[in-house]
Amino acid sequence: MYNEEEHIESEFMKQHGANPFKVPDGYFDSFNDRIMCKIQAENKQKGRSVNFVRILKPVLAVAASILLVYLVVNSQFTTHNVSRELSMSAISTVKDDSTLNFSLIDESTLVNAIFSDDNSNSTDINSEDMLAYLSSGLNEVQIFSEIQNN
Amino acid sequence: MIVRKTSIDSIMTNDQQILDALRVPSTREGAFRQLVSLYKERLYWHIRKIVLNHDDTDDVLQNTFIKIWNGIDSFRGDSSLFTWLYRIATNESITFLNQKKRKLTSSLTSETDFLVNNLESDPYFDGNHWQKLLQKAIAQLPEKQRIVFNMKYYDDIKYEDMSEILETSVGALKASYHHAVKKVEEFIKYHETRVEY
Repeated sequence: MYNEEEHIESEFMKQHGANPFKVPDGYFDSFNDRIMCKIQAENKQKGRSVNFVRILKPVLAVAASILLVYLVVNSQFTTHNVSRELSMSAISTVKDDSTLNFSLIDESTLVNAIFSDDNSNSTDINSEDMLAYLSSGLNEVQIFSEIQNN
Repeated sequence: MIVRKTSIDSIMTNDQQILDALRVPSTREGAFRQLVSLYKERLYWHIRKIVLNHDDTDDVLQNTFIKIWNGIDSFRGDSSLFTWLYRIATNESITFLNQKKRKLTSSLTSETDFLVNNLESDPYFDGNHWQKLLQKAIAQLPEKQRIVFNMKYYDDIKYEDMSEILETSVGALKASYHHAVKKVEEFIKYHETRVEY
């Protein structure tokens, strides 16, 4: 346990409490006014910032609402445009494909394709038979019975 | 000792009157002026012993009273007004020194060097050779011991009051003071024999 008595004879303990500091003349006399001025200035500053916030609050609320509406509308419009652009690009791709096919075929290939043997195979009917068939004047019932007989 | 007790009793009565007046908006400013008048000197000397320089003390004291003004509604009366004011002043002083310490980290100067420089550059230090040595000895102490030593050595504040202000047990405060006195004695003994002192 600390015993204060054992230090009582120390040189610095003899000078116990002697204050070596001083203050400028009139410091304490003017302190009250200075501190009150500072507090009032701080209160004014606080009041100003409170007023500023009070004015700014509704303005910010309106601005935020407008921004929100703009963003919602803009996002809807953008989505619609994107889907539209996508479908248009799909059509144009198809279109491009067909254009590309025709452009790749040269003239001789095209002529061969039109007058190829495939066509003659699928229509193995001579013109006389065709004329006789057309002039026979058969109605639908007769045609049907003929097909049935064949 | 009887005089001291009487003065504390009268302060307590005044404190209650001031607190009552501070709670009424119409008398608030007047009561605060009274509080400043009553405590400015004691708080000033308490802060001055911690930060040493007059200009720094003035800044810290102003911040202390602004904190008191802003926080007076939160004072619930769990402790005495005197204790509450001293606690704010002590915390403000420590905050000030910590801010300085952070700046000093980059310039490789210790807190002790800063305090000694602060003392030597202060035109309002009126101590003799020996008192300057004592202040240097106090500046070597760790922060808590320095505060406890100053409160006991210069202001003779009771350990019970100190315990409330610093939120530390009486036993720990007595031990801090004991260690501080030992260190100060050793520092003075060592440096008294040197040429520079």
